[in-house]
Amino acid sequence: MNRRFSKVVLAASLVAAPLAVIANDAAPASATSLHAMTFAYDWPVPDMELIPVLVAKENGYFTKAGLNVSIKFPPNTSTTIKMLSTGSADVGLVTTADMVSAVVAKVPLKSIANYSMSNNWGLFTKPGTTIPLSQLKGKTIFSYDDNWTNTMLPFVLKKAGVTAQQVHVVSASNDVPLLLNGRVNFSTNTTNYEIPGIEAADKGKQPGEVLTGSALGVPNIPIWDYATSTSFAGKNGTYLKAFLSAVKQATKWAVANPTAAATLFDKAYPASGYTNAYNLSAWKLTVPLLTNAKGQYFVESDTQWSQLTSAMKAVKEIATVPTPSSIYTNAFQPTS
Amino acid sequence: MTAGEGNELSRQRRWRRVGALVLWSVTSLVVFIAAWQAVIAIFHPAPYVIPTPHDTYFAVTQNWSSIWPLAVGTFRETLYGFAAGAALGFFLAVAMYKVRIFRSLSYPFIIASQAIPIIAIAPILVLVIGFNIYPTIIIVAWIVFFPVTINTLDGFLNLDADLLNLTRVLGARRWRRFWFVELPGAVTPLFSGLKIGAAYAVTGAIIGEQADSSGSSLFQYQFAANNSSRTDLVYGLTIVMMAIGLLWFVLIVGLDHLATPWKHRPTSRRWRDRGKTASTPSLQNE
Repeated sequence: MNRRFSKVVLAASLVAAPLAVIANDAAPASATSLHAMTFAYDWPVPDMELIPVLVAKENGYFTKAGLNVSIKFPPNTSTTIKMLSTGSADVGLVTTADMVSAVVAKVPLKSIANYSMSNNWGLFTKPGTTIPLSQLKGKTIFSYDDNWTNTMLPFVLKKAGVTAQQVHVVSASNDVPLLLNGRVNFSTNTTNYEIPGIEAADKGKQPGEVLTGSALGVPNIPIWDYATSTSFAGKNGTYLKAFLSAVKQATKWAVANPTAAATLFDKAYPASGYTNAYNLSAWKLTVPLLTNAKGQYFVESDTQWSQLTSAMKAVKEIATVPTPSSIYTNAFQPTS
Repeated sequence: MTAGEGNELSRQRRWRRVGALVLWSVTSLVVFIAAWQAVIAIFHPAPYVIPTPHDTYFAVTQNWSSIWPLAVGTFRETLYGFAAGAALGFFLAVAMYKVRIFRSLSYPFIIASQAIPIIAIAPILVLVIGFNIYPTIIIVAWIVFFPVTINTLDGFLNLDADLLNLTRVLGARRWRRFWFVELPGAVTPLFSGLKIGAAYAVTGAIIGEQADSSGSSLFQYQFAANNSSRTDLVYGLTIVMMAIGLLWFVLIVGLDHLATPWKHRPTSRRWRDRGKTASTPSLQNE
């Protein structure tokens, strides 16, 4: 009886083993066969600018591209650069100004694609209040004291015909409450964050004044970009192309389906602290920024970086001007 | 041994102790720098992750003209906040000691006040008070008052009951009992609380500067250095902040030394005995 039983077990395992191998080959690619990559966001908490990468993850674009991407959030806004440079993250979202500062400080990073393609940074007044730029003298302006704002503010002062000593620049952790309470006359931010922020804090009201672009005399250059370390780029070009290709597909989908994109964000991060209304409003304000005049996504240019580095040198944010080629590459851009 | 000779001996011992303290402090600094350099030599971290002590030193010295006024500003904020917190803590402790009902009512609130995250309060203070030095002073005082209150109150509550009864038997009035018995009995725990407060006061000032930068501040300067990947300057400014904290602690230790002479002198200070020896006639008559 025992000998017969063991013969049956041996026969069964001899049949089952090849079947298991065939079944495994026929199954769709599991997570273990995908190339693992880490994406570092530029903010400690998720918000709607994460939508393209999130859609690429949730809608399977990364999986189809052979990637298993995990998203990390830095402890503060200046840590993303360090995460990329130390290999804690493979690709990250950073501001172009921080990118330039890093390259000047000899941090081995490379920008591989623009996130946004234009400058939507500006000055905002509280709802019901309009203060023309000509009346900037003596006013209190809120600044997050980031590299981008420090670079743009001198353009504004020049346009308004005032000096830095004739305005009062203050910094704190959040501008909207200070603006609404009249502690500051102007806040500085980008349209896709400030407008929904004021709407959310003040019952749907719009800022009294929104001054951006040529009204402020600021250059029309992108604010955010995707970056990686030069060592990662040197060894993983194929994966970077796959990453950008997936994110481009996801971006196009999110642009075409903003409501679904905002809902997807809410489902992925229910404890983000942002309402669906905020996320939808903010994403809709982000959409026009994602393409250039030719309708292209991601493509970077020498001109944008030259303008930025010149501006940062002029306001002494950087001591030397790096060449555009040392800052960016379009080599990993998707072809379609 | 005369009183003068005793005082001279304790003075010499005191200077030897100070000398030993300085020597050990310098030694620990050297060990710290050596360990730092060893980490770099062994692990070869990138300079934008861990800069060398040499680069950090030069980042500070090259920017000293910018750093010094900011450090003075942070020290001033710490001074005002510490004074306010220490005064509040002391008077709260006295009130809680003297009035039992007040102690029962206020104790839970005092404990709960430290559970509130300062990071969350700071922006609210700026919103309510505005952009000036007062939010930072309040934050520093908030941090300092708690250890001062608790330690001082513990000192009062643990006084020798027999000694207090003796003062009552001898007819001492409340004010004299407080000044000559209760307060000296609570001075040592008071200074323990002040030392703890001193160690955390600079942290409070930096949190305040983070919430309210209406001008330049040490925090703002470090924030900008961090944004520009100037890690050597970030480390250097951190060391400057540590130095301010250490300076505060040493100041409080010095104040403690002056306020509690009985802990390190065998006799009371007699200024007229200075320079006199046992053969001095005035001392022989005592």
